[in-house]
Amino acid sequence: MFPLRLAIQSILKEFWINLLTVLSIGALLMMLFAVGTIVYNIEIMTRRLPERLSILVFLKDHTPEGDLKVIEARFKSEPLVRSVEFISKDKAMNNLKKTFKEDDFILKGITDNPLSDSFEIRLKGNNLSVNDVKGFIDKIRALKNVDDVEHGGKLLESVYAFKQGLRVLGIFTGVIFATAVIFICYSTVRLLFYRRLDEIEIYRLLGATKAFVRAPFFIEGAVIGFIGGVLGTILLWILNNYLIGRIMVNIPVFSFISVPVGSLYFMPALGFVLGLSGVGFALGRLKY
Amino acid sequence: MITLENVSKRYETQEALTKVSFTIEKGTMAFVTGPSGAGKTTLFKLLYLAEKPDEGHISIAGFNTATLRESSIPLLRRNIGVVFQDFKLLNNKTVYDNIALTLRIRGIMERETKERVNSVLKMVNLRHKSDSYPLTLSGGEQQRITIARAIVGEPTVMLADEPTGNLDAENEDAIMNIFKRINAKGTTILIATHNKRLYDNTAKKVLYLDCGRLVKEAIR
Ligand SMILES: Nc1ncnc2c1ncn2[C@@H]1O[C@H](COP(=O)(O)OP(=O)(O)OP(=O)(O)O)[C@@H](O)[C@H]1O
Ligand SMILES: [Mg+2]
Repeated sequence: MFPLRLAIQSILKEFWINLLTVLSIGALLMMLFAVGTIVYNIEIMTRRLPERLSILVFLKDHTPEGDLKVIEARFKSEPLVRSVEFISKDKAMNNLKKTFKEDDFILKGITDNPLSDSFEIRLKGNNLSVNDVKGFIDKIRALKNVDDVEHGGKLLESVYAFKQGLRVLGIFTGVIFATAVIFICYSTVRLLFYRRLDEIEIYRLLGATKAFVRAPFFIEGAVIGFIGGVLGTILLWILNNYLIGRIMVNIPVFSFISVPVGSLYFMPALGFVLGLSGVGFALGRLKY
Repeated sequence: MITLENVSKRYETQEALTKVSFTIEKGTMAFVTGPSGAGKTTLFKLLYLAEKPDEGHISIAGFNTATLRESSIPLLRRNIGVVFQDFKLLNNKTVYDNIALTLRIRGIMERETKERVNSVLKMVNLRHKSDSYPLTLSGGEQQRITIARAIVGEPTVMLADEPTGNLDAENEDAIMNIFKRINAKGTTILIATHNKRLYDNTAKKVLYLDCGRLVKEAIR
């Protein structure tokens, strides 16, 4: 009970230092979550990418009708395939004509259809690895009657590499921000500790245990971290509602952005833990 | 209750105590005297473990200070009530809170704390200064607060360093009467003083220190 009272007294007495600390922690935690949100959003945006990619399998000329059926069945039996569509060379020509619309004079001189029959394969979404896709494409290439395969594997590969890099960067920044929060708590507690050193010495002479002396600092660190977290939550909430919610909705790219609102409540808990660790580091090696 | 064997303490430049040995029996009221710089305060610091001796053995209130674990020091200190020569009051806390601190540190409930603090404040005649801050009090009043803080924990040993240094004869007698009262209840008391008047007629045991050496031990 008494340590709690000491902690509250200290928070009120050193109001400005504590306020500054809370503000810094709030800002840092908010940035930490902003980075998290960015990573999270890119994760979501790219999750369904393989689904959008299609693989075009061009067949050799004069592939027998029977073989077509066999190949199609073969594709459909693959677990990562979502749909298979046969596009005959005539249909391909029609599509081409449609694409050119009024400019179809380009195609006027062509009498013999130079296009080939093809299959358009769409893959199931959700976290297909690049290797899965590559392996699948190699399998297709090896099939009889297949002339060429066109696919977005390269794109997928670079997007995945980008995502990987972003994840690492996110974790890296997260660790840096978290460390900064710990460090801020650490230096505030150190400062408060040295300010109260005379007082602490008297406590010790009267028979106070180390735990008794430390308890108020731990409470203070935890409270400051927690309030910092609440502040960060509020800041991010405001940012989400007013900035992203009202203004950026009209800008197409930003309209996709979704803040993982549920995890916002996690922020005060994180502040709490980081605050406590800051105090732990600050007092851990002190002799008194 | 207090035993020293060949205790020496050196500070960087000088020897503050040299091979001091004595014993104070349980329940005794004893005095340490000697000129300024003789080593009285140093002796007390060794007893409440603010300093460690360079040589020798000390035992106090049943604790052997050499083998005492760091974590047990608070336990030892709770058994010793100290009147510090420089008071060591918290100037940003009221008289009441200063005295209550001794009990709060021990986790004693507020209700009991209040009773006990008010009772010792009455003993030193400062009940009306309960809500004052130390710096608004006279030197003698601060000294009596320090004494009240030392006795509120009902220690088995009391160490009082110049407890009447700032008091007039009347208050001096009042304080000595308090010491006699708690001594009669069984508390062992060691008082450091320059003041002959304190130990002339009452003392059972007087230790004379000079330049860190125990030069005379008078027992009556
Ligand atoms: N922390 C210290 N560092 C260095 N020297 C010290 C320290 N404390 C005390 N001394 C020296 O040790 C000697 C004994 O000091 P101490 O305070 O024990 O004397 P004292 O008997 O209490 O004197 P007084 O009657 O004036 O209170 C003195 O010469 C003092 O200068
Ligand atoms: Mg002294």
